[in-house]
Amino acid sequence: MSPRREIIVPAVHAPDTASSFGQAVSTVVRGGDFLFVRGLTAVDPQSGERVRGTTASETRQILTHLKQLLEAAGSSLEKVVKVNVWLHSMLEAPNMNEVYARFFSDPPPARTVCGARLPDGVKVIIECTALA
Amino acid sequence: MRDVIAAPATGLDLRQHYGHHQSPAIRAGGLIFCSGMLPVDPQTGERRHGTLTSEAHVIFGNLKLLLESAGSSLDRLVQVHALIYDSIEYDVLNRVYRQYVANGPPTRTVWAAQIEAGFKVELDVIAAA
Amino acid sequence: MTEKLPRSVVEPKNPRLNVSRGANLPHVPGIRVGDYIFLSGMGPIDPRTGERNHGPIAEQIRTTLSNMQHMLESAGSSLGRVVRVHVVLADISHMAEMDRVYREFFPVDPPARTAWSMQLRFGNGCEIECVALAN
Repeated sequence: MSPRREIIVPAVHAPDTASSFGQAVSTVVRGGDFLFVRGLTAVDPQSGERVRGTTASETRQILTHLKQLLEAAGSSLEKVVKVNVWLHSMLEAPNMNEVYARFFSDPPPARTVCGARLPDGVKVIIECTALA
Repeated sequence: MRDVIAAPATGLDLRQHYGHHQSPAIRAGGLIFCSGMLPVDPQTGERRHGTLTSEAHVIFGNLKLLLESAGSSLDRLVQVHALIYDSIEYDVLNRVYRQYVANGPPTRTVWAAQIEAGFKVELDVIAAA
Repeated sequence: MTEKLPRSVVEPKNPRLNVSRGANLPHVPGIRVGDYIFLSGMGPIDPRTGERNHGPIAEQIRTTLSNMQHMLESAGSSLGRVVRVHVVLADISHMAEMDRVYREFFPVDPPARTAWSMQLRFGNGCEIECVALAN
């Protein structure tokens, strides 16, 4: 039987079109047994508007949003298997980790963290894969 | 549904040694999702900084330990993100990498990224269980 | 009892797009494992010549995504079955232009995507990898 693909949460409508958080990206996609969540940045879940802050505050904003997204999809933070985190600077890794640890209970998912050039002054991007 | 693969050697428990809020690997849906593997001593957890080559050898040794403890192996790797601190070392990476994936390598994307603790290389992998 | 998913190699029908084999590199273009197809990162290779296309970023994105489409179709899948994409750009200012071309390939129900910028080799402007469902 063909494995199921379904858009669980479609694109976020972002008024900030210059940063291309536009419509060509679904937020949560189901594929087979897993949910694939897009790389999330700190946005207001209602308006889709950027929320700028510190790495720690952006991490908190993102993970709060992620919790909502997963629960609405019938999943949860406990079902996350793997997280990828991109930081604008690896110096911020401990700040991100401190907030992150408050969201993921024991035992936490697998994770890889690295530093890269992120768009528009974004401090952190978090993507994950979870069991549906 | 989701199995946590514990560190097969205490040095690979980065949570204990470095406070990294992550499990070494998670098995689900027939796949094993590993946390980014770093060149740390598998027994002591000490950082093993060196050349890209020496760091890659430590990483592959650690991955072998981890995957085999989970009933998998390097031969069952499916996807690798090879993080390197500078793409100038691409050929060096290939020379050491080749030694570990000779029996049918997985897919790979090389990321020239900023890696923690000034390491030169890190491998972010998914394997089949 | 842990299921042992079958694992097999995916190769493009067009050999010019088989960079792994052509350049004798320690990877394969794609792996099928269970219901999933993982592809190695792809760059802007001209499918007719095998040469790198270093035109404007729009052309590079178009070339790369066309190649990705070919790779998936060679594996019996399609762009419509893609669940996750990673787009790496050499120049972060190319994000808007990338998205403009990208949406031509994923006009409806697009996959999840994460995009960022890193140093890329060979003067490539982009590198794109994906995970898709098999048919």
